[in-house]
Amino acid sequence: MNTRNDHRDSVRISVLTLLMMAGLLFLAGALWITQISRGDHYAHNARRQSLRVVRVPADRGRIVDRNGIRLADNTPSFSLCVFVEEFRKPGRWSFTAEAVARQLRDVGAVIGRPVEVSAVDFTNHIRSRLPLPLVAWTNLDARVMARFAENQWRFRGMDIVATPSRTYPLLTRASHVLGYVGKSDLTAVAKKEFDYLLPDLEGRSGLEHRYDAELAGVAGRRILKVDASGFMSGVSQEMDPVPGRDLVLTLDARIQKMAEAALEGERGAAVVIDPRSGEVLAMASSPSFDPNVFVMGVSRELWKTLNADDGDLPLLNRSISAVYPPGSLFKPVVAIAGLENNVWDPDALVACPGYYELGSFRIRCWNASGHGTISLRKAIEQSCNCYFCTLGQKIGYEPIFHMAEAFGLGRRTGIELDGELGGLLPSAAWKKAQVSEAWRDGDTCNASIGQGFLGVTPLQMAVLCATIANGGHLYRPRLVRGVRAPEAPALGALLPELVRELNWSARTLAVVRGGMHDVVNAPGGTGKNARLEHVVVAAKTGTAEVGRKGEGHKHVWMMAFAPFDAPRIAVAMVVEEGVSGGSTVGPKVGRLLDGIFSEAEAHG
Amino acid sequence: MNVLGLHFGLLKRSNWLLVLAMLALVVIGVLFIRSACAARQEEVIRGLFRLQILWAAVGLGVFVLISLFDYRRLSDGVWLYYVSALVLLVMVLVVGNEVYGGRRWLNFFGMNLQPSELGKLSLLLAVAWFLSRPGVDPGRGRTVGVVLALTAVPLVLILKEPDLGTAIICVPIVFAMLYTGGASLKHFGMMGLVGGLVLTLLFGTILVPRWMGMDVAGQKAVFTRVTRLKEYQWKRLVVFVDPASDRKGAGYNSWQSAIAVGSGGLTGKGYMRGTQSSLGYLPRTVASTDFIFAVIAEEVGFAGGAVVLGLYAVIIACGMLAAARARDKLGRLICTGVTAMAFAHVFVNIAMTIGAMPVTGIPLPLVSYGGSFMLCTMASLGLLQSVYCRRI
Repeated sequence: MNTRNDHRDSVRISVLTLLMMAGLLFLAGALWITQISRGDHYAHNARRQSLRVVRVPADRGRIVDRNGIRLADNTPSFSLCVFVEEFRKPGRWSFTAEAVARQLRDVGAVIGRPVEVSAVDFTNHIRSRLPLPLVAWTNLDARVMARFAENQWRFRGMDIVATPSRTYPLLTRASHVLGYVGKSDLTAVAKKEFDYLLPDLEGRSGLEHRYDAELAGVAGRRILKVDASGFMSGVSQEMDPVPGRDLVLTLDARIQKMAEAALEGERGAAVVIDPRSGEVLAMASSPSFDPNVFVMGVSRELWKTLNADDGDLPLLNRSISAVYPPGSLFKPVVAIAGLENNVWDPDALVACPGYYELGSFRIRCWNASGHGTISLRKAIEQSCNCYFCTLGQKIGYEPIFHMAEAFGLGRRTGIELDGELGGLLPSAAWKKAQVSEAWRDGDTCNASIGQGFLGVTPLQMAVLCATIANGGHLYRPRLVRGVRAPEAPALGALLPELVRELNWSARTLAVVRGGMHDVVNAPGGTGKNARLEHVVVAAKTGTAEVGRKGEGHKHVWMMAFAPFDAPRIAVAMVVEEGVSGGSTVGPKVGRLLDGIFSEAEAHG
Repeated sequence: MNVLGLHFGLLKRSNWLLVLAMLALVVIGVLFIRSACAARQEEVIRGLFRLQILWAAVGLGVFVLISLFDYRRLSDGVWLYYVSALVLLVMVLVVGNEVYGGRRWLNFFGMNLQPSELGKLSLLLAVAWFLSRPGVDPGRGRTVGVVLALTAVPLVLILKEPDLGTAIICVPIVFAMLYTGGASLKHFGMMGLVGGLVLTLLFGTILVPRWMGMDVAGQKAVFTRVTRLKEYQWKRLVVFVDPASDRKGAGYNSWQSAIAVGSGGLTGKGYMRGTQSSLGYLPRTVASTDFIFAVIAEEVGFAGGAVVLGLYAVIIACGMLAAARARDKLGRLICTGVTAMAFAHVFVNIAMTIGAMPVTGIPLPLVSYGGSFMLCTMASLGLLQSVYCRRI
């Protein structure tokens, strides 16, 4: 009996032992499943709840002119921040809030500024941005910072934090080219990737926009460890941002200043190009704006003013985004078209009675009493409508169209800016499609004197002028010499980008350039206001009527190049609502060229 | 009789493997209590591991004393222990310190004592004593009835605190002792049937109202009315049934503990480098006590967890070896009960830590922070040793 019981008991002890060992094996299996099979799932959850990714924007690249003068720069704005986790008190949130508030009162008294963080601000900070420093005061000036620095040993858990900010030291200078920046609007993708975004800027217009990728650099990231209450407990990983690259322009800030000064008080635009390379030395549009106001966000009223429907449109870059009829600036194109097709003899004489008769229409010449009987060179000098209408009728519209097309009219030049317009170079097919009418002789006549459907931008005219100046090399106009890393060596010379070789005969060039020479230098030339003593200037004036006939709305032009023998500068300038190209724009261009060449002499 | 010689003989007959496993677990416990509390602001709590060393030292003293003590002389005082444990259990209901909605602690001259620990141990002794009495036939239903009655009295008092965890532990202890004590399998079948019914009822009151689409208030009302359990227990069971339902509330501990364990991987994040515990996601109040295994698993991974399980396997094997080699039935029953108690603690605690069982406040023997439990565990292991040294 006893042995049977003993046997039974030892069997039961073995069974129980096996049961318990099986239990431990079960635990080991469950542990394996949790830690190995599903480990990634839990590791992901551990990271997700305890790590916060902060986007750290890079320093934006600078924009400098061809001589290294800073047009767009970064100056940090300083804020005083509280690291809330250092004020953490056990128990209710209000204890921590009180500790922070007490500190802010003390610091405020020392630096002499009232506490700007309200209880609501603090609550919002705790709720949405707890692991980040709480910004207590922004835009600190040097005095406030000095006061804080002297007393910093008394105030733990606070520090001065620099936030990069954009400044345009030359204010409105070249504002249309530079554009402006605004607070960045990150895409949903970036918002998913980051838990917190520090304020960042992005280009909204101009070069700031077009070269945003180069200027912005690559944002870095800081991965914060966050404890169960949401306080920052340390930095887990830090990836420094890659600073943006600097943009070196072809612009010359001094020439830009003169171009802007020339347009002061007018609505208009001016573009200065180096005809040897197509580099844009100045691109001015008036009225202009101060891009500095956009950095911190623009008020509603200011935005309204900037976009008011009064025709001022200060944000509009008239150099590339406004289209004007070229008026008489187109006449050299017509002249070249006639000469190069060998259908017009430069010495051919045309009698101008003061008007041109086309069927029952009369097209007035600007000199009502007529220019007399004149040659082509004289016709350019005098800008005789009568002569060019006769020429146009003789050669027909087709060669004119092709020559204008060869000059790049009707198409964007491809300058490094958004919003460039191509203007309009009409053709018979275009007219048929647009107004369902055939091309008539009147259209050819209008085109021959730069009126009618033709539309051009000031930049296109500057390119046209540069091409005549350099003897037929059409270069793409350029604003950007290159991008370079912040401390990189200066950029080498920019290779000109030849769009087209126009291959004009020497005779053609001599007549057209001679005509433009006379415009300025002949006693009765239309552009004599642009005459300079020490430099020989060649030019063409233009006065384009806009709106209904007889209402007297005129956009007035001048394009000019100098020095005549070896041109280094080509300018096109337009002024809206002027009197005439010669009288309104001539003196301005004269002053501008005078300034450029005096400056060049002064600086060798 | 040469006392020293006797003691020397006992020393030679001791199970040193058991002692080594115990010491290893105590060291692991101290190390990870230190890690779990390292990020705490309170100086006292950061120093808890030192206190645990003190408890372990005292516990080892108790272990040695009880090993030397002849377990056969226990039978004289069994009733005294049993009754005084009951008195303490009643006292805790009246004058106990209320912590987290339960009265589980008695304050004794500035020291906190958990009477349910003593209750558990004295129940074990009482049942062992009763079943080993000559003339008691374990095969009879009456014997099983008396054992169940002996169990019921402290169990009801413990449930009243309420300390569901300790109460649950009592069940496998008593069952294991009845089993090795020779109770008829027929009675086990009957008890199993009753247990199954109770579990069905328990989970039925949770699942059926859910399937019926009752609102939360209704579900709670059904549960508390039918089972007489508390609302927080309903929440824990619901979280067990549907772990994702309340990760921020009742399921928080369980979910965070599972993250801690799971994110540990094969080799862990490194000692003192567990983010779940240092950043406080694993609730700080329980990280060093009931959830200490989560800290271990997070910091030293599956490898470390398996070592801990292996050490417990050694202890259980030593315990059952002592039961098999025991000189008499009392010794066998004591060893079975103590080993079952250790196993139940380990199983329920670790299963809870990895989310395989609902959360019940059960500490991990020798590892979790806590004085009463350390002393109780050491005392019970001392009994094992006492039986083993005096084997035939």
